[in-house]
Amino acid sequence: MSNPRDLNEENRPHDDFLRRCGSAIASLFKMRIDKSGGRIIFVGLCFFSIYAIIGTRLVYLGLKPNEGQAVRAHTQESIAAVRPDIVDRNGVVLATDVKTVSVFAEPRRIIDKDEATELLTAVLPDLNANELREKLGRKNGFVWIKREITPKQQQEIHRLGLPGIGFQPEHKRIYPNGVAAAHILGAVNIDNIGIAGIEKYIDGLGLAEINSLGFARQPSDIKPIALSIDLNVQHALRDELFKGMEKFKAKATAGLIIDVNTGEVVALASLPDFNPNNPVDALDPNHINRLAVGVYEMGSTFKALTTAMALDSGKFKINSQLDARSALRYGRFKIGDYHAQNRVMTVPEVFIHSSNIGTAKMALGVGVEHHKAFLRKMGQLDRLRTELPENAEPIVPGRWGELNTMTIAFGHGLAVAPLQASMAVSALVNGGYLMTPSFLKQDGDRRAQATRVIKPETSEALRYVMRLNGTKGSAAKSAVPGYFVGGKTGTAEKVIAGRYAKTRLLTTFMAIVPSDKPRYLFVTLVDEPQALPETYGFATAGWNAGPITGKVIERVAPLLGLPPRFDPPEQPFPVMAKMNAWGSKP
Amino acid sequence: MNRFLTLVSIAALIGSALFAYRVKYDTIYFSEQVAKMKNRIVREQDAINTLRAEWQFLNRPDRVQTLTESHTDLVPLAVQRIVRWQDVPARKDQGDAIGAKIEALGAIETTSAIVKKPDAKPQPKKTQEKQP
Repeated sequence: MSNPRDLNEENRPHDDFLRRCGSAIASLFKMRIDKSGGRIIFVGLCFFSIYAIIGTRLVYLGLKPNEGQAVRAHTQESIAAVRPDIVDRNGVVLATDVKTVSVFAEPRRIIDKDEATELLTAVLPDLNANELREKLGRKNGFVWIKREITPKQQQEIHRLGLPGIGFQPEHKRIYPNGVAAAHILGAVNIDNIGIAGIEKYIDGLGLAEINSLGFARQPSDIKPIALSIDLNVQHALRDELFKGMEKFKAKATAGLIIDVNTGEVVALASLPDFNPNNPVDALDPNHINRLAVGVYEMGSTFKALTTAMALDSGKFKINSQLDARSALRYGRFKIGDYHAQNRVMTVPEVFIHSSNIGTAKMALGVGVEHHKAFLRKMGQLDRLRTELPENAEPIVPGRWGELNTMTIAFGHGLAVAPLQASMAVSALVNGGYLMTPSFLKQDGDRRAQATRVIKPETSEALRYVMRLNGTKGSAAKSAVPGYFVGGKTGTAEKVIAGRYAKTRLLTTFMAIVPSDKPRYLFVTLVDEPQALPETYGFATAGWNAGPITGKVIERVAPLLGLPPRFDPPEQPFPVMAKMNAWGSKP
Repeated sequence: MNRFLTLVSIAALIGSALFAYRVKYDTIYFSEQVAKMKNRIVREQDAINTLRAEWQFLNRPDRVQTLTESHTDLVPLAVQRIVRWQDVPARKDQGDAIGAKIEALGAIETTSAIVKKPDAKPQPKKTQEKQP
């Protein structure tokens, strides 16, 4: 640094560098037409790309759906899910949604909580002031104050002008017919989610998913669900059952009408029942659907199954002789007859006199394994699953020996749901087609798709013996003239503390109308009917379940479009006549 | 010429701006109308739904039955009330009811005679005259 020469030598390249930089900067601002063309294009490209980015972003924002609003709409709708209407087979409304309003609060936005509490309780007097004060004191963003208020209350709350209080439109489920078809419809909770019956089934169809995606805003967006129920028939059935229950001072009654050719349940009532508008009642154990959830030993109505099995196996003919002269002994057990005839009888006689001995002998004749296989084929040993979520597993004996076969033959020792037994009896009389009962409207005859479980001749034999029972046997009291009714009664002693109780009976009656070409199966169940003076002290099925069914048939047949016939049909049972069956010749 | 073209283009510009303005505000107006109409439709649908529920509530079978039992003499249809057409007895010949009534009133003439009343009238008068 002290040497000037050194300094000079050091400085020279530096000067050169500065000069070159200076000329480069100067040339940057020099406009030279031959060299600037490329630059202009470059700058132009820069601007173009910037504007292109801005433009595409604008288009993108414009096309993008407004997410915030969609989320809001979705949360609003899912609070009370929209449900499809439920209508009966003729389109009459059974359940529908109506709009109501609920009031909510956003505690963080309420300024004076005490004042808000005071004013709100003045409008809604059924609110507990302390509870409300506690609710508003929370740090939540959202609390319900009251669900489903009236329009007048809404108006009054709106007039209070409280900040942080809002209204939420909701769908409320209404069952305008009250108790009618309660067990089939089921109920919904306050959030409009099905908790029982068809309502729960509807949710299972994927409605919950549809709702959560926010697709269904209006009830009109969803097609109504048509049930197989006929409201008028349903009401008539319930009314007659109610009268019967009062008359015989029974604990419970239940009734069922099935279209045997389609498997549709036209009416189902189980008393005591509940009003679906008050869902709490639906959970009362006394209000269960006795036909689907209760399992019972069906008693003599099961003899229809045994008779069909015996005839279908080919081991018995319609005129086969069965010795019922003395009680049947098995070990220390003795099987006797209630209406003891003490003679040799043919199959129709066994059926109309409801002989336990004869039926047990038929079952023994076909054997334990065949009996078991037949009942399984008829769906009596497995849980019956219909659209209704409520169902019950039959109580099947663990070890099934000869004694079990003997007792099950006449309906003891195997407890099934009455709906299940009705399904089997429908199959016995409709030509042998087994169909799962359905609560949804079906289009026409379903027999073509159904599985055949017995031969058509056996089916005719069953219709024949049931009709015979309607003219000569225990079902005579229920046979309404003109409808060609056939049926089978059943009286089972209830098991109380492990023993059969002689005085506590469960009586059943199954009737087919008309017997020559059945269209409907009527089932009536009476739980613990009492003997009355006019029944001469009897409490068996022929005296209570039978006459109730008769009244139901008389009242309901015109509603179902069944015309009464004045002359008995010619040749109703051609095969039976050809086989010269007992009782076919007057 | 140039100035004229300029004026025309300015006028065209203002015109198109006005047109665009009108289209824009019309669109806003109509979309508001559509939204209002949609709201009204929803409200109407809700009202229809509520009315349907109410109609069914008032027509529910057990209510109808209670009303029928307390206000009318109607009874459920019994089998005995259904008869075949051929069982309906032929109507009895009840005779000429109107003619009988006229006879009872004392006028013996047939209906055709009544038409000719002016001619027939003097007759009874004559008899009356003869009697005293």
